[in-house]
Amino acid sequence: MKRVIQTLAAVAATGAVVAVSVVAIGLYNVSAREGHMWGVTWLMHTTFKQSVKLRAPGPDEVPDDLGSPDRVKLGALHFKNACAFCHALPGQPQGAAAQAMEPTPPHVSSITGWTPGEMFWIVNEGVKMTGMPHWPAKDRDDEVWSVVAYLNALPDGAGQVALAGEGRGRASCAQCHGEGGESGNSHIPRLDLLTPGQIAEALRQYRSGQRQSGIMQEAAMALSDNEIATLAQTFGSSKGPRRQSEPAPEATTPGALLAQRGTGDVPACTVCHGPGRQADAPIAPLLTGQSRDYLTGQLRLWRNGNRGGGERARLMRKAAQDLSDADMSALADYFAGLPAE
Amino acid sequence: MRLMLICLSFLALSACEGRQSVLSPAGRDAQDVLSLIWVMFGGAVLLWLLLAAIFVYVTRVEPREMPRRWGEMLIVGGGVIFPVILLGALLTYSLPMMKPQREADPGLKVHITAEQWWWRVDYELPDGSRVTSANELRLPTGRRTGLVLNAHKVIHAFWVPALGGKVDMIPGRETYLSFFPEEPGVYRGQCAEFCGASHALMAFETVVMTPEDFAEWLTAEAEAATAPASGEAVRGAQVFTREGCGACHSVRGTPAVGQVGPDLTHVGSRKSIGAGILNGSEEDFAQFIAHTESLKPEVAMPSYNHIAPEDLRALVAYLKGLT
Repeated sequence: MKRVIQTLAAVAATGAVVAVSVVAIGLYNVSAREGHMWGVTWLMHTTFKQSVKLRAPGPDEVPDDLGSPDRVKLGALHFKNACAFCHALPGQPQGAAAQAMEPTPPHVSSITGWTPGEMFWIVNEGVKMTGMPHWPAKDRDDEVWSVVAYLNALPDGAGQVALAGEGRGRASCAQCHGEGGESGNSHIPRLDLLTPGQIAEALRQYRSGQRQSGIMQEAAMALSDNEIATLAQTFGSSKGPRRQSEPAPEATTPGALLAQRGTGDVPACTVCHGPGRQADAPIAPLLTGQSRDYLTGQLRLWRNGNRGGGERARLMRKAAQDLSDADMSALADYFAGLPAE
Repeated sequence: MRLMLICLSFLALSACEGRQSVLSPAGRDAQDVLSLIWVMFGGAVLLWLLLAAIFVYVTRVEPREMPRRWGEMLIVGGGVIFPVILLGALLTYSLPMMKPQREADPGLKVHITAEQWWWRVDYELPDGSRVTSANELRLPTGRRTGLVLNAHKVIHAFWVPALGGKVDMIPGRETYLSFFPEEPGVYRGQCAEFCGASHALMAFETVVMTPEDFAEWLTAEAEAATAPASGEAVRGAQVFTREGCGACHSVRGTPAVGQVGPDLTHVGSRKSIGAGILNGSEEDFAQFIAHTESLKPEVAMPSYNHIAPEDLRALVAYLKGLT
């Protein structure tokens, strides 16, 4: 018995000496140049892969439109902005700094062998001790899936989208939203339908995190107040806030009826968002002409309580709380089907 | 000391007076209910006295063993025959009272739908057309008016103690009640079935009017909204439009067509706002608009506390002008 206690005490003492040497004295070499000891890389990589497999969402949670070209394009544009520094772009070499990381981030073309659900988990959650960040915004699964859409489309060539334009400011806004802000991508809102005031407010909310979006927060984080004002003027509607003199066209579809008259649970959208709204100084953006995908996505964020915004955001959150999936679809059809003003 | 407590307890009876009490009826149905209450109460007192007398007799006056025959007569008579006669008489007296309270009337019908936590009120005229109002019920004296009761999301109960009632309001199942008011005046109604966070804050005023006054009022109520008169009210109408109030509220004759909240076409002439919780002064309107969610927890309407004070004043001027 005495022998056992002595042995245990000796082991504990040795452990304490090792711990003090590593943590307090600094004997362990954290150099990335040196790399890991033999076997550690395998140990950590296997742990990582199994952890992802255990936690990744199943195939039933993958959006139906994962292959849509607009979604792939949005994912590609954000990948270029935020991810390419480490993972490079297809056909381009990784930068020297990225290659010197430990572990070295995989080149975008070599990201294979993952299901869409596993890629979603990695992009959304990030990976500890690798330098891979988590998605900066909360509750924006829709955006993460767009990046997955891009990665998923790469091997079969559908992901080889043209990625032109450089730098921040106008050039990078126009990359996604179009030169005149008219977008052209169903997942990206048209800016030419918004007033400069609305654009500026949105950019400030993205910058402060009041509005959550991994894509737009990345784009807006570095903007100064002056740059925001200039961008808002450049892309915003030149028509300014105004009263709509024309009444809304007569309602015939379910979406039009819901939008123009509302129900006992849902307010009438058109009173604030047009067409046919009477307000002189509107508090809400016009929706006619925005794309169906964008409108459905935003309505879902509002309905689920995940859409940030200014002081009146709570009004819209309450307005949308009783919408069904079918309602949102009908409303998006209605507004997307009307010509922009 | 005991005498003082008894005297003090009489103070509580003062609550029985007034506009929300079964003890001061203002209509035929409530009168019937009150008669029933008094008959039952009087009968109960008599019965209690009789029992007490028997107890005193068998324990103090004549505490000897009773002849067997007497005892059996007491059990059969007092336990079977007497209750059958008494309850039979009570049923014969009270059952016919229920019929008129459910009587379908060929004249005016009012559809009342309970929302969380307010009342949709629709007057159905003999020609089938409807006049929409909210949170206030107006009834003529001297005739029966039918009340068609519905509920939107959860169970509520409709009760105006001074006029009759009460009846459950059940989503997806129409219930029916009718009132025969006799005494003009203002009586308070209250939701009488727990229906959520603001159940206690779900009341309404019932205004009983002479038939002539009522006809005049109904004609006015059927009209579209009056245009804002003062400059401030005109500005208030702009605030109403800008803040999107019309997406949830209707003001007939304007682009406001919403159906989520109470109809506001004649809100300025109502005796209360917030479904019977505030009196309807300018100050009450402003408080309710700016602090809706504190005054009525979990209500669908958001607090409009971001509106500038002068805009809020203008908005109230517009709403008060909707008479």
